[in-house]
Amino acid sequence: MNRVGGWLLAAALLLLCACGRMAEVRPVGEGTDRPSLMYPDYRDVTVPCNLAPLNFYYTAPGRGRFATTFSAGDVSCTLRGREVVWKERRWKELLAAAAGGEVSVVSRTGDVEVRWAFRVSADPIDPYLTYRLIEPGFEVWDDLEIVERCLENFDTRVISDWRHTGNRCMNCHIHSRARGDLSLFYLRGEGGGAILQRDGKLRKLALRDSSMISPTVYGEIHPEGRYGIFSTNTIIPAMHPVGGRRMEVYDTASDLVVADFDANRMLTFPETARADVFETFPVFSADGRWIYYCAAPVRPLPAEVAQLRYSLVRRPFDPATGAIGSPADTLWSASARGASVCHPKASPDGRRLLYTVADYGTFPINHRECDLEMMDLETGEILPMDAVNADRSDTYHSWSSDGRWFVFASKRGDGLYGRPWFCHVAEDGTPARPFLLPQADPHFYDAMLRSFNVPDLGKAPVGFDAEDIGRLLRDVPAEVFE
Amino acid sequence: MKRKALRTVWIVLAAAALAVGAAQAVFLLRHPYFRKYAAQNGLSLREARKAWGRPDGISELAMGLAVESSLENWDRVAALAAEDRTSEVGTYYYNLANAMRGQLPDRLLDYYQPFERGLFLPVGEHSTPFVIGCAGDVWFALGDMVMAERDAMLGLIFSPAHKGSRYVRRLAETNLVTGDREAASKFLRMLLDGPRRDRKWAEERLPGAWTPAVERRIEGKRALLPALDVVHGMDQVPLILRLLLNANPGNRMALDYLLCYDLLTKDLDAFVGDYVPALTASRLYEEAMLIVLAAKGGMNEENLVRYHIAAETLERFNRFVTVYRRDGGSGRNLGEFRNTYWYYFYYAVRNE
Repeated sequence: MNRVGGWLLAAALLLLCACGRMAEVRPVGEGTDRPSLMYPDYRDVTVPCNLAPLNFYYTAPGRGRFATTFSAGDVSCTLRGREVVWKERRWKELLAAAAGGEVSVVSRTGDVEVRWAFRVSADPIDPYLTYRLIEPGFEVWDDLEIVERCLENFDTRVISDWRHTGNRCMNCHIHSRARGDLSLFYLRGEGGGAILQRDGKLRKLALRDSSMISPTVYGEIHPEGRYGIFSTNTIIPAMHPVGGRRMEVYDTASDLVVADFDANRMLTFPETARADVFETFPVFSADGRWIYYCAAPVRPLPAEVAQLRYSLVRRPFDPATGAIGSPADTLWSASARGASVCHPKASPDGRRLLYTVADYGTFPINHRECDLEMMDLETGEILPMDAVNADRSDTYHSWSSDGRWFVFASKRGDGLYGRPWFCHVAEDGTPARPFLLPQADPHFYDAMLRSFNVPDLGKAPVGFDAEDIGRLLRDVPAEVFE
Repeated sequence: MKRKALRTVWIVLAAAALAVGAAQAVFLLRHPYFRKYAAQNGLSLREARKAWGRPDGISELAMGLAVESSLENWDRVAALAAEDRTSEVGTYYYNLANAMRGQLPDRLLDYYQPFERGLFLPVGEHSTPFVIGCAGDVWFALGDMVMAERDAMLGLIFSPAHKGSRYVRRLAETNLVTGDREAASKFLRMLLDGPRRDRKWAEERLPGAWTPAVERRIEGKRALLPALDVVHGMDQVPLILRLLLNANPGNRMALDYLLCYDLLTKDLDAFVGDYVPALTASRLYEEAMLIVLAAKGGMNEENLVRYHIAAETLERFNRFVTVYRRDGGSGRNLGEFRNTYWYYFYYAVRNE
């Protein structure tokens, strides 16, 4: 009898939990951060054939019954409930049946029936994503961590965190051409440095010499791994009292430098260290023979911050010597466009350049108008991105190793927290409707108060974890660069 | 025999449980604000003790100020502040409570004033998490929702569990005021998932469900919003206040905070520029103007009328000057002037 009572109690508890899950989600609809009938809204998106299940929930009011039927080829599956949560095996079956095609979906609640679909691209996405989890802050931080997520399931792994680094500031992790064995991030503060993972080795580097404005900030590793191109910036945070932009961050000085990781040297060049020009956000071309960066004439700041507009510039780079050359080509003119460009990223296939455009400035994450733009590097043509951009900041993008996918941080929805969105790029450069990183719990983002900062794709997991970073910080002095 | 031993064990256990319960009850009676502040930070009592340690009288009082301020019980805030005359947080809430009741300048120098830090709590690398969590209250009251939102975000960052209705309510409300409905909806949804008191608060603020009181409150705050988009540093307090006044010259609280900021930082040139006698009045301002007029040779009838300086204040100032000169500025025999701006101006020294 006691055993029966226990089972009844457990069943009642389960029922209670289920009822809790069935609870109506509010507020939803027009003018809220949950405007669609489901969240995340996966209608008409294109997903890769190796993606984790697209779990979601319905936002419809009331306590109705929900049934969702997915069909592709000869596979059909109906999931019941407001929360649509897949078993991994069934999801994989569905994806396999739909690869290169479409999944048709029928959502039913009461008398209402909605038919929709999503496409499954045969192009797999690089299966790892790194990102920094950070609360929107203002010069201060607490409990930062950099996480690596496997996109084929819901596994996550912390690769650096506050527990092992004395709660210090750490900046975002970037792969070189999505390589799991070549990547970099910064641990700031005393005893910190740039953490370079290369040739199976972790190094801590003091990427600064006496002529530089600051330690290195934004940058990228050369495809061959010997050099890195970086900006060195004096960064000033400030506030916008009106207009919803909240925080504006600008540089009062910025130059470019090259780091030689073999010779432990910093290289500077007069062409990219001009006192009358702000130079920032440098990256390499796919073949490593060019650098792309953003440049703007120096202005009095913050008084003229609304007139601070960066152009997109290209200069030759010599992979044998690490030298930045001349002439400079302006690929995208700020004065002609009346806007400002930042964060250029060349696709690994060398065909396209993806960057962000805002009305002005160099820190667009709070600029609602900030959108992604893509340039065809062969023709100079700017490709339409209407399917990708939203009415909130879309930025901090990175390419997959084959150039067929990119991930970007978007503040669409609540406008405050950056989330990783993924976009497929067709052979002709046409971008598909992007999708939000799926989570095991479809309500994951409801309670999440941290941004996914600088999401970056990787073909393989990085070769270190948070404990390795803690040891490196504690036991290894930073290598000096001259 | 075995039964007896079992019974004894039960009795001991029951007594222990009772003792623990009684100790807990005594703790809660002695530290009611600790519990409330913990709840506002999304913490159980056990988590709060682990994060903050056992409260003492000072921390209990500080938490009381933060809790009562969040509930906008300004008389209670003032009463609690009267018990703490030594901390920046105590002064900050004392000033805020007085400002909310239109008495900021009149009562400013009746209390310990650590220069401008009693008006605006410093937020930076050296600030404590508790101070950071309190710093936005004044900005919300003044009408700067961007600064209020910044401090609520920072409050969340530095709260032990990175959550808490104290900050989430503020984030919801700042965004309702600025009209960012998408952002507000995120925070309202989080509150609707929380305890009953938060659910009720959020229910009243859902789109289309505003009570007349909520509507009045939101509209009242909207009326205070700045209008000019001048990018400013986070510590440029006078500029932020002037932007509020530029949009709403009638924002008396912002004007008083600006004038008191000028006076507590002893920036009399700024005070003269900011002072509009037609918009606010206080003995404090009269006293400050007398220093200015005396220093710049403007002690004439026209100026005394222009700056609304009462004969009684002038007479008292003359007495202060007489004693000050007689004793060579030593500060002796000036006890009766201790709550005047003259005394503050000449004798207050920064403890840095």
